[in-house]
Amino acid sequence: MTETDHKKILAERLSARFGRRAVLKGMGAGIVAATAGGSFPSVARAQQSGHLKIASIKVIDTLDPHFTGFLSAIQIINNIHNGLLKIVYDGENVTFEPDLAETWDLEDDKTHVFKLREGVKFHDGTPCDAEAVKFSLLRVKEGEPKSPHAWKLALLDEIEIVDPLTLKLHFSQPYAFLPVALNGSTGRAGTIVSPAAVEKYGTDYGRNPVGTGPFKFVSWRENDAIELEANTEYFEPDMPKLEKVTFVLMNEASTALAALMSGQIDGMTDCPMQLVDQVEAFPKANLYGEIEGNYTFLGMNCKKGPFTDMNLRKAVAWALDRETLVKQAYFGRAQQAYTPISPPMTDFFDPDIATSGRGQWFDLEKAKEFRAMAEEQGEIEVTYMMAERGPVGTRVAQTIAPMLAKIGIKVNLELIEPATWVKRRNEGDFDLYDFEWVADLDPDETIYPEFRSDGAWNFCGWVNTEFDELCQQAQVILDSEGRKELYYKAEDLLMDEAPIGIMAHMPIYKVFSDKVQGFQYIPADLVNLHTVSLA
Amino acid sequence: MLVQALGKIGQTLVVLFIVSVATFGLLKLAPGDPVQIMLGSEYSQEAYESLTAEMGLDRSFLVQYADWAINFVQGDWGTSFVARTDIFTYGFKEALPVTLTLAFFSLSFAILIGVPLGVLSAVKKDTAFDAGSAVFALTGTAFPSFLLGILLIWFFGVRLGWFPVMGYVSPWEDFWTGIYHMILPGLTLSTYFIAMITRLTRASLIEVLEEPYIAAARARGEPGWRVIWIHGVRNIAMPLVTILGLQLGTLLQGTVLTETVFNLPGIGQMLTSAVLGREYGVVQAGVMMTALLFIGVNLLVDLSYPILDPRLRDRK
Amino acid sequence: MTAQASPLATKAPAPATNPPAGPPKTKRRGRRSIFVRRPFFTVSLIVALGYLLAAIFAPYVAPYDPVLQSYDAMMQPPTAAHPMGTDSYGQDILSRTIYGARFALIIGFFSVIIGATGGLVIGLAAGLSGGWVEWGLMRLIDSILALPSLILAVAFIAILGQGVDKVVIAVGLSMIGPFSRTVRADVMRVRVQGFVEAARLMSIPSLQVVWRHVLPNVIFPLAVQVTIRISEAILVSSSLSFLGIGVTPPTPDWGLMIAEGRDFVSFAPWMSAMPGFALALLLIALSIVGDGIREEFDPKGRRGA
Repeated sequence: MTETDHKKILAERLSARFGRRAVLKGMGAGIVAATAGGSFPSVARAQQSGHLKIASIKVIDTLDPHFTGFLSAIQIINNIHNGLLKIVYDGENVTFEPDLAETWDLEDDKTHVFKLREGVKFHDGTPCDAEAVKFSLLRVKEGEPKSPHAWKLALLDEIEIVDPLTLKLHFSQPYAFLPVALNGSTGRAGTIVSPAAVEKYGTDYGRNPVGTGPFKFVSWRENDAIELEANTEYFEPDMPKLEKVTFVLMNEASTALAALMSGQIDGMTDCPMQLVDQVEAFPKANLYGEIEGNYTFLGMNCKKGPFTDMNLRKAVAWALDRETLVKQAYFGRAQQAYTPISPPMTDFFDPDIATSGRGQWFDLEKAKEFRAMAEEQGEIEVTYMMAERGPVGTRVAQTIAPMLAKIGIKVNLELIEPATWVKRRNEGDFDLYDFEWVADLDPDETIYPEFRSDGAWNFCGWVNTEFDELCQQAQVILDSEGRKELYYKAEDLLMDEAPIGIMAHMPIYKVFSDKVQGFQYIPADLVNLHTVSLA
Repeated sequence: MLVQALGKIGQTLVVLFIVSVATFGLLKLAPGDPVQIMLGSEYSQEAYESLTAEMGLDRSFLVQYADWAINFVQGDWGTSFVARTDIFTYGFKEALPVTLTLAFFSLSFAILIGVPLGVLSAVKKDTAFDAGSAVFALTGTAFPSFLLGILLIWFFGVRLGWFPVMGYVSPWEDFWTGIYHMILPGLTLSTYFIAMITRLTRASLIEVLEEPYIAAARARGEPGWRVIWIHGVRNIAMPLVTILGLQLGTLLQGTVLTETVFNLPGIGQMLTSAVLGREYGVVQAGVMMTALLFIGVNLLVDLSYPILDPRLRDRK
Repeated sequence: MTAQASPLATKAPAPATNPPAGPPKTKRRGRRSIFVRRPFFTVSLIVALGYLLAAIFAPYVAPYDPVLQSYDAMMQPPTAAHPMGTDSYGQDILSRTIYGARFALIIGFFSVIIGATGGLVIGLAAGLSGGWVEWGLMRLIDSILALPSLILAVAFIAILGQGVDKVVIAVGLSMIGPFSRTVRADVMRVRVQGFVEAARLMSIPSLQVVWRHVLPNVIFPLAVQVTIRISEAILVSSSLSFLGIGVTPPTPDWGLMIAEGRDFVSFAPWMSAMPGFALALLLIALSIVGDGIREEFDPKGRRGA
């Protein structure tokens, strides 16, 4: 009885997170069945063929899932490893389904029970059992060196091994963020690594990853390529279809495009927006991408400098011509944002937000009014730090500078290397900067860690305790309507006091040549090649 | 002779020492913190401090330098911060061969195309051919290589689809595929040298052809091709080698841009990405290899003079 | 047309240094003007001067403000309104190219001045001092020379940061090595002539010796070197911009424009091609002018990188 109740609550919380009702379908039965054919090692093994070459344009730091900070690394890691849960997308809904787990159950609202698949082996031949899962979770939670994702399992009290294939996770509080934390992708914390390999390679595991995934790691040559080969023992039937995969590491997106057009590579894990028009015009490639859970913003320093003046911040927020920004900085591909909550969070996103009167938008008159109320009436000179980073490099900064000139703010664009940029942002050494929070699936992770008064990512240094309280309340409220209201209030505070000027929600693109078949797009910046084959 | 050689080696060591101290010091002055880059945007203060200590970045400059220098000499070049890869493997075993291959092919192209072109221009002095090669030589030395690379990629790579536009395949493993991949980058990098060698060959040969021994050879009735290719070209070898040694810097500099444009995993790419990522150890290694290469080649050039010019052998 | 009138630059660092033997008539008196003898040089000089004029009068020549954005006019091919087309911000490429000449020449000129000044100081010091100081300075010069100027400039940029002023300093510093080597070579030439020893014996203050005897012999070849190396400085600075670590956008810098346009090569090739052509033409013109000057005024053709 109680079991079902907890399940229901969890299902509701999850559906509140990811929108439509169909979330976690099949959960009502109390047991979530693994995807078809998982119960027994399948008879029909896939015949692997083909060598896929795909360009990876962004930096890859490590292939250790528990230590990476980059989605570009996750894209590869996910082809080598599995998580307890995985993200599934059917074109409309994002759901979490068991991956290495065969079933996932709730005993009460603080205890999750996972039953693992039988016979799954790591690439090094060691079995993937409850011990291995426990090892991975503990490695994240309290391992040395400390994982940057440890906080995701902070509420995990105890891992109890019931039998070699069953384990119970006891949490100190009901923890609805768990599915995100545990799934093998953006959460990073729930990816299962081979204990034997960690033992063997130590901190070099990131260069020698050993998982259970459809592809085995072969080699990583710096600035050159990462090679994977098919795992013929993979537990899901008919996967993988490819024999070999090479992620070609490239710094130059335009060279990657040239290579794609000349047929030297078969795809790109990321297609920068400025190349999208060319890819669309190229008949032999297919573009995959939608507006994902993200928002871009202009951050203003609330701790020092001219933008401690709230009226000046508001003037800036209202002076940003979003239409021009979308067209010129994002090549017309993005969608104007009014508040941080993005379209894929369907239960929270208001499709009529443009006319609802909430949020920020372009209104030069209003901007001038706020500007007239600012303490400093003369021309103000500010420093805008920018770097060749992010989806469109320095384009946003270049587009914004003339807009602020119209309200008497002279913007000095300062170009620095990404390394320095990160350092100065973290130290609060800037007047203006633009950034984007990406791959969010829930309003909580969208605004709370980013703008909490003492939050580590609150680089603007905005302080508002009312905002903090609203977000805290929303975390423990189960009813999604009530949650929505709280988040709206919190957002309104954020937009009104304007530590940021919100700009746009962006699409994230992948490209494959028309030879590549069976790619399943997941709106969390993933490049899962499990089902991909070459014609 | 031995004393001279020892002196040369001593000088080289001092130069390498200055280079290493200077880069080490300069990199410490550079803003940007490798620890923060490693940790990304999500980290705690403790994590930051423990990582700083783990990487030994909390020690004094001198200790860090001494530590590095002692290990470097022993072939232990350390581990890169971000990639956690062994720098000796990455730099010496992986990146250096790529750059050397690229340099080797470019120089081969340059000599194979530049010398004949120069000889022909000298022989056909003041003809249309000469004027054409003069225009090419002038354009080639001044044309920015990165622009040329882009043009070649889009014309020969994408439009015509004749050559691959990126990537490195070791010619020592797969000779023809390797060469095939080297054609566009090799041409890009060598254009400057083709042009330079053409000019130099032409100018030197014109001078040499006026020497009395050429006239003597002609008078002996030796065939024209023999006079030019044997007596003439042999005598321009020395200025050619000198210039190539001195221009090695230009060549290495060109590899930085060529490797970026064609996505070749050589020292140039390694250096630029390491400078931007504050990979101190990698930058050090890259700079040391570049310096060693430069000094080494010029040493070889010095040593090759007596071989190329018998007169120097006699004079000693 | 005589043999010597051939336009082909003969920058022969030939070991046997007979001056190019031409018909003796044209050699001394009655020598025709350099402009007639070297048509390529003349044309190039006109081109270079054209760039200089464009740079100086950029505000009067350029049809638009180089950083005026217009999203109605993004990525337009060349038209009457925009003879070189527009870039991805709707900025007029012709205007940006004209202003680009200004930045290129400013960067080229000032960085070479920095390099030449630094080279003069180190070269003089190395050439005039003796013993360990000279040996040390020589090794210092060797160390600078052991690294290609682009790589040095990249390292300096990492420390200084980016922007036009920083690029000037970085490129300037990276050129000190070659300059000090030539200066030292010139000083040595003066030194063997015995002025310096003689003056010292006569107890003339050494500063005066340097001023009277050494500098005049060094400055002129140095000035020749300066004109030659401006094109190198421009090339290095535009390479930096191309690598994304040079001047700050939206500064109308050619290297930056080429790099920016590269993403659009397949359907808006003018974005890279126009500034690329401007850069290549200027570099070619400058190198021909430089060669001409070197051969006219510095016939020994000192070898040196």
